[in-house]
Amino acid sequence: MRKISIISFLVTIIFICVSWINHSNTTPIKFIVPKGWPQPKYDFKNNPLTKEGFELGRKLFYDGILSKDGNFACATCHQQFAAFATFDHNLSHGFNNSLTSRNAPALQNLAWQKEFMWDGGIAHLDLQPLAPITAQNEMGETIENIIQKLKADSEYRKIFKQVFGEDNINTQKVMKALSQFMLLLVSNNSKYDKVMRGEANFILPEQLGYEIFKKKCVNCHTEPFFTDFSYRNVGLTLDEVAKDYGRMKITNNKSDSLKFRVPSLRNVAYTAPYGHDGRFFSLMNVFEHYRKNMIVSNTTDSLLQHKMPLSNYEIGQLTAFLYTLTDSSFLTDKRFAPPGYNITPNFIHIH
Amino acid sequence: MKKNLIVFVFLIFVVSIQAQQNIQLQFHHKVGDKNLQLFTETYSNAFNESFIVNRFKYYISYITIMDDKGKQFIVKHKYFLIDEADSNSKKISINTSLKNIAAIEFTIGVDSLHNVSGVQTGTLDPMHGMFWTWKSGYVFAKLEGQSDSSHAQGKYFGYHIGGFRTNENALRKIRLSIINYQLSIVNIKVDILKWFNAVYPIKINQTAFCHQPGALALQLADNYSNMFSIQP
Repeated sequence: MRKISIISFLVTIIFICVSWINHSNTTPIKFIVPKGWPQPKYDFKNNPLTKEGFELGRKLFYDGILSKDGNFACATCHQQFAAFATFDHNLSHGFNNSLTSRNAPALQNLAWQKEFMWDGGIAHLDLQPLAPITAQNEMGETIENIIQKLKADSEYRKIFKQVFGEDNINTQKVMKALSQFMLLLVSNNSKYDKVMRGEANFILPEQLGYEIFKKKCVNCHTEPFFTDFSYRNVGLTLDEVAKDYGRMKITNNKSDSLKFRVPSLRNVAYTAPYGHDGRFFSLMNVFEHYRKNMIVSNTTDSLLQHKMPLSNYEIGQLTAFLYTLTDSSFLTDKRFAPPGYNITPNFIHIH
Repeated sequence: MKKNLIVFVFLIFVVSIQAQQNIQLQFHHKVGDKNLQLFTETYSNAFNESFIVNRFKYYISYITIMDDKGKQFIVKHKYFLIDEADSNSKKISINTSLKNIAAIEFTIGVDSLHNVSGVQTGTLDPMHGMFWTWKSGYVFAKLEGQSDSSHAQGKYFGYHIGGFRTNENALRKIRLSIINYQLSIVNIKVDILKWFNAVYPIKINQTAFCHQPGALALQLADNYSNMFSIQP
């Protein structure tokens, strides 16, 4: 009996040592849920955040190695100074002089999002990067090739081993690392947030704009994410070239025709142009759409059956409020800048 | 107490070494009675449309072996990608203590859980070209080729079948009865002609492509779920 206890004691010691060795190379990061926000949708148990995993994700995010010709990193179209949308572009530029078919969305607060893309076709954050990587008009690469290229790179081999404790680089690990970077893109420090926390006060136009917002916009652009993550037809006309019916492509359901995800309005001052195809170049274009140009059809949202009356006065106050959603600490957070930069490079713009 | 424990351990030992038999499933890809040859051979379907095959692969999972008394042995959490281009993939080896194998069941495709739980590894790694990235989910089965009947550029046709969402579920369960109980190699004939004509007629000149879940994918799934039979 005593022998058994000695053996089990030794086994336990060895087990502890081995697990210590396995995990000693990484520093865990605790994901902080801002006060008053719901629990995230992402399951961190399957992909525990570490400083090294985050840094690997950031390196991959900024590396053209994930594209066919090396020219298109994730960050090419998802630029930090534009809240990780493409600054000033209705559509982004892809491999071989191509254009994307939709506007690059901002990347923020992704841990709370369950479905991705304008049509919600992708069911998990880890699966999302596969779409732009393999799209011919985006990064134009195959998954097989990126795995081969990463395996052939001694630095990546070293880092992957450090992060995951195993030699083997595979699709799952690449995507988990990218998710680690993207999950930490949390924007919760705008003036609006500070006001909500009692750390700042709205000036009068902002306050008036907030009141109007709560009457006319908040049903779809729900706080704190400024989207309810639903898909709605806001009376857009069909583009005859793109023939993009949005959500209907995913559900094959006619009642989803021309529905697109309600975009978050966080950092909206930096994410123009707007709309799934970037057809609105300014906030004013968007307001004009809602009050004048909308086409009400049978799938148009029930809240917009009579368009949305907005006076010039209301538009002025709403604009003042929307500018309070700018989170400049997020836009300049050096943790999210390219590896090796101590400040966010300002407006590096290659197109 | 100690004695009981020893007996128990001994029993476990005996049970575990008792008659583990190896069963090999071998998939033989055919077009009617002809053996499938990628790229080179020309075949003809029920509608006299001639065609060649460039790619043929499919996932099978939840392989279940049943003996003559209805006892089951399930190969859990294993997804096999059977690929005509990879001869090793066409043989699946299973160790089971069951004797007198009377039936084999399996599912064509990948269950919904594995479609929505992030990136998978091994045979389910999306790099095997059996994954839709724009509407995330697995392609369960894929048949590609060329045919003079196709109106598409390059005379291509291609059927990519999948779908796990409500009303789009293309998972199909297959049950094959075995008459000769003593087989240790189970030869399974897989007849590609059934894709075109089993439950629904699918003509290449009308339908050259299926690239998404939905009604057409369900018809093709119903068709190809008839493609398996036991070779005597």
